[in-house]
Amino acid sequence: MFKKILIANRGEIAVRIIKACQEMGIKTVAVYSEVDRHSPHVQLADESVNLGDPTPSESYLNIAKIIESARNVCAEAIHPGYGFLAENPDFAKACADSDIKFIGPTPEVIRLMGDKIEAKKTIASANVPVIPGYHGVKQDLSTLIKEGKKIGFPLLVKATAGGGGKGMRVVHAEAELEQSIESAKREAKSSFGNDSVFLEQYIDKPRHIEFQILADEHGHVIHLFERECSIQRRHQKIIEETPSPVMTKKLRDEMGTAAVAAAEAVGYTNAGTIEFMVDGKQNFYFMEMNTRLQVEHPITEATTGVDLAKWQLRIASGMELTFKQNDLVQRGHALECRIYAEDPSNGFLPSIGTLEKVELPIGPNIRNDTGVETNFHVSPYYDPMLAKLTVNSENREESINKMIWALSHYVVLGVTTNISFLKKVLEHPEFRKGNITTHFINDYFKDWLVTKEGLPLDAIIALAVYDSLHTQRQELVRYKEADPHSPWQHVGRWRMGL
Amino acid sequence: MAACGTLEDGAVTMFINYEHNTHVYNVTVERRDNQFFITYDNNEYTVTATEVKPGQLSIQLGSRIIKSVISQGDDSKFVFIDGSIFKVKRIELTGRKKTEKKEGDLNSPISGTVVHAKVKEGSQVKKDDVILVIEAMKMEYLIRAPYDGKVKKVYFKEKDQIEIGQLTAEIEKEEE
Repeated sequence: MFKKILIANRGEIAVRIIKACQEMGIKTVAVYSEVDRHSPHVQLADESVNLGDPTPSESYLNIAKIIESARNVCAEAIHPGYGFLAENPDFAKACADSDIKFIGPTPEVIRLMGDKIEAKKTIASANVPVIPGYHGVKQDLSTLIKEGKKIGFPLLVKATAGGGGKGMRVVHAEAELEQSIESAKREAKSSFGNDSVFLEQYIDKPRHIEFQILADEHGHVIHLFERECSIQRRHQKIIEETPSPVMTKKLRDEMGTAAVAAAEAVGYTNAGTIEFMVDGKQNFYFMEMNTRLQVEHPITEATTGVDLAKWQLRIASGMELTFKQNDLVQRGHALECRIYAEDPSNGFLPSIGTLEKVELPIGPNIRNDTGVETNFHVSPYYDPMLAKLTVNSENREESINKMIWALSHYVVLGVTTNISFLKKVLEHPEFRKGNITTHFINDYFKDWLVTKEGLPLDAIIALAVYDSLHTQRQELVRYKEADPHSPWQHVGRWRMGL
Repeated sequence: MAACGTLEDGAVTMFINYEHNTHVYNVTVERRDNQFFITYDNNEYTVTATEVKPGQLSIQLGSRIIKSVISQGDDSKFVFIDGSIFKVKRIELTGRKKTEKKEGDLNSPISGTVVHAKVKEGSQVKKDDVILVIEAMKMEYLIRAPYDGKVKKVYFKEKDQIEIGQLTAEIEKEEE
């Protein structure tokens, strides 16, 4: 096992990996940009390295700086977390070239799976179904428009190098096609440095269901069942659960087998996720493979008892898996909510500011993954996800109730968050019934406003008490003397008590 | 509590106006030790309260306990109560002019970079035509024409930095 590793990430995922390492007796090195100097991941690690400039390309995306840091502190391996360099084959290659173990699959596999077109071709050849579409190299506007018309509408424009919904557009009619392609290309270019896109038939009533896999470096591949991630906004997941309410034993076996076949087809190693789209008739199609630990991995951990982060470290250090497919069972139900600094009543715009107060819910089977704390400043440089909240119970209904309780006791003051919104989604009768698709938010919460109700009486009382407690006596006197129109002049029961 | 340690033998009534979501709430509060007399909407409420931790209040109204967490930001407060959070501003008694969103808001919803500005001044646009594309945090935000009309002025060109609330363009509404 490694003695020391560097974690090339920030926020909750860096914290989660550092904790796993500490439990295993592995020394940890955090990296940070100037604005993250006092972040929890830096405080928790055994050592830390300042990457300087907060611009991602100068810090968490800077391969040269990170490799140099790892060498300077004599780290044997680098864990990339998710996002940033996690799916960058050049980074995995640079690690290998510097004799540092990259905790993830090989650069070749990352490169292959990062190219969504090649990935689909390869996976299709392993007899895993894929969605019809145009995945050609010809990227000129007229070719794309011609191919788009051939596929028909609605269709999806998606960045070849994409992920997380960036560079993705749904086109409902021919008239929107040209502008959508241009816009997707621009976003793809700025997010991934590559403006190549592909077109795909748009699936009706689609669910996003993915399978977690673990593959050691000795040829063993297993899956750890599904995660239902259909609740998305802006094509990014906000609520995930397992088991999926739509899953049957038959479908699970079929999809699990396909996931393992896909991983085997590319010689996958370490933890990975095969994302499928499932339509209303329970047909499933391979979408893409994420060659890293997923944000939503805790729900799999909660229902299987397997610690995925620790297994990533064990696999990377050469260990064999100690369990087989048949040893794994899914127990109960788990639900995760992503807590974002964003405004759901205003197009989910990111909200920037200082977290004046953070208090997390505590209770049986409630897990908090967080990289922030009171006084943390949410900067515009990075993803606005603050934390993850995971609960597990005997069944889905209990998990939903537990999650609603936990969200009701989740205090984040100072920035706008999506907490009330998440609660409303969980309370929705269709969500409770399990009738969800990736369009759920758009279908039921399109014009949702967080502040429809006025200020409740309890809030008014609390504010009045707070202001009364926090107004200095001297301040009151000063107001009274300085301003003849001050409200204090009208005060009836004023008594000087100095 | 600490800030008010000198209050034990005096009672002070404060008149406070809270603004939330363009509504203004007029409240008075008088304090005697840990007792508070609050009037709002012609009702009087007598409560006892303590600040158990900074910002965390335990308020007793009759037999009911109200638990709340409040934080003081630069110009507004955040109130956590019963699982909901409200952003509230304290305003002067005379009241400031409220900024209400007019129809046809062409202000930028976010700070970012203009990545697309193809509409020419003087040209005709239809409702929902894209006027400007702003990129922030790797996502695109579209400024659309709120109505049919003629573009009078576009204040930004591609690659310009734009701040939240800045006016992006002016469009002359087409007469019926």
